[in-house]
Amino acid sequence: MNALSPTSAVASRALSLPLIAAGLLLFLIIIASLLYGAGPISASEAFMVLAGSGSEEARFVVSELRLPRTIIGLVTGLALGLAGALLQSMTRNPLAEPGLLGVSAGSGFAVALAILFGASTATLTSFVAQLGALAGCALVIAATRVQGLGNDPVRLILAGATLTGLLLALTSMLMLMDQRAADEIRFWITGSIAGKPLSMLQATLPSILAALILIVIVARPLAAMALGEKAAVGLGHHPGRIRFLIVLAVALLVGSATALAGPLIFVGLVVPFIARAFAGPDIRKTLWLCVPVGPAVILAADVVSRLIAAPAELPLGVVTALIGAPVLLAIVRAGRMPSL
Amino acid sequence: MPDKRTTLANSSLLVLLLLAVITSLSMGTVQVPPPDVLQALMGNADPMTAFVVNELRLSRVVAGLLSGAALAMAGCLMQTLARNRLATPGIIGIDNAATAFAVASVVGVGLSLAPSAMALAGAACATAIAFGLAGANGTRGYRFIVAGIGIGAIAGAVTQVLLSRVAIDAANAAYPWTVGSLNARSGNSVLVLAIGLAAGYAILMLISRALNTLQFSDAVAIALGTRLKATRILGLALSVLLTGLAVSVCGPVGLIALLAPELARTICRPGKVPLTASALAGATFMVVADLLGRTLFSPLEIPVGIITAIVGSPYLLWILLKPSRRSLT
Repeated sequence: MNALSPTSAVASRALSLPLIAAGLLLFLIIIASLLYGAGPISASEAFMVLAGSGSEEARFVVSELRLPRTIIGLVTGLALGLAGALLQSMTRNPLAEPGLLGVSAGSGFAVALAILFGASTATLTSFVAQLGALAGCALVIAATRVQGLGNDPVRLILAGATLTGLLLALTSMLMLMDQRAADEIRFWITGSIAGKPLSMLQATLPSILAALILIVIVARPLAAMALGEKAAVGLGHHPGRIRFLIVLAVALLVGSATALAGPLIFVGLVVPFIARAFAGPDIRKTLWLCVPVGPAVILAADVVSRLIAAPAELPLGVVTALIGAPVLLAIVRAGRMPSL
Repeated sequence: MPDKRTTLANSSLLVLLLLAVITSLSMGTVQVPPPDVLQALMGNADPMTAFVVNELRLSRVVAGLLSGAALAMAGCLMQTLARNRLATPGIIGIDNAATAFAVASVVGVGLSLAPSAMALAGAACATAIAFGLAGANGTRGYRFIVAGIGIGAIAGAVTQVLLSRVAIDAANAAYPWTVGSLNARSGNSVLVLAIGLAAGYAILMLISRALNTLQFSDAVAIALGTRLKATRILGLALSVLLTGLAVSVCGPVGLIALLAPELARTICRPGKVPLTASALAGATFMVVADLLGRTLFSPLEIPVGIITAIVGSPYLLWILLKPSRRSLT
């Protein structure tokens, strides 16, 4: 932590309390994610497994079904939370979110295209998804270059919503073209972390690590950019270069998350919103706090998605939308838009 | 009295609409030459042609025509009330909410509630929530629109939940309808839409003078003798009515409510709210988009909502991203 925030000891102590609290909460949610499910295995049976005993069936459910799901949820939440925080800081817009800006939809469209051309979701490399996310980021780049749009958060969001609509329409058209692809895409596009093999996680880990390294590099210049471009230039940073690195990191993170779990909207909005509430305006603290909060939000949503309609399950994407939209409304309802 | 330019614009749009209707009736898996279409409509063609034109295609074209006109008129009305050309029912989530409610009536076990009534209820709820969240008398454009995006997202998620709770074939059957398609129309909904459209149009013509004054500031409108509050509430209620009824027929076909009034405003005389021209343009757009969806990849049919999204989104993006001095919100 010292490497990233060499601020005064007082400031880092102020962060440690929420960080510990969020870590504890995350631990509890991980346990809940292992204990509760839509199936017939009760929480006490699952607890026996964690304690080292338990029936054959319970052991299978916990270690083969729920554990991989929990791990994938952890990584997805981490990636989406960090990506949201980076995008919001870069665009100075509290509503900027990978799902709302079209980055996830770009990634989703690329994956749908790949499925149509014969790749199956299991063998799909996260490379395609990352490429799509990068293309989706093109809108963000184009938008921040257009004069005046930086000061108009709503126009940016509306442009993102329109792009998302366009890409979803194109994806639906692909689904109509090919019945086999349609079945696979329909399962994947509602967003879920269930039943995904851990091998997909291995495929995405290198890019997530690369993105984390990029974040370590850009964290300090990004904090300087919060003071204004001129101040950042005065401190010896290159805003153009930093923005490029951030877009790269966001594409890697969102692409990996989309390859793992499908397009999940609003996670990148909710996680930084919570983190900022406790960490204050410093982007480095917000990023640190996103590390436990992101996985906690995804896993909590996933547990809800298993329990709310038991014995069936809701798609995770539906639950995140139901949680996230009220947060969006709350941000807008707040008298003034919080400026970043 | 309508001026020359508006009359000219309306009559050319009417001609375009008639051309689109006849083309749509003549094209498809079985090609019927346009003269035969006219013969069939008059009732003296051979039985085969008469069946294809009158039984298979006409009801679909009529449904498209009516729903396109209703969506466009609702869009034009809401843009006028909010003084913001982006504030259309689709963008502020009313379409999605109406769809969620209508899907609820379709997949709900044994419920025979008419989709029209449910779609209307959904549209009314979404509008009420959007206005409530945007603050009363909201001309705070950005809040209204972002609140609408949020409501639309919730409604979309609810639709997904409903569809995931039913058997796969029921969900598959409802799927094209949730992206906007003329396939799932029912005769009753079309009839209700026709009645609502006629009534709505008549009322709008009666209050058109008051609507025209809404383009000025509140003070000017009041000075010109407009009862602002009454006009706003009536206008909003009518645009909710038109949107809900249209959605119950064709599902959430996006962007017609944005594009048609935009075209109408360009070709009509400035200073008036071009309701008639919007309706004609919307009907034409819907009929043409449905024709494209039916014939482009025949025998595969692309739902009309996907066509309008693919054609309309780039235009909306262009509006949003082009640098302009004028604020949109």
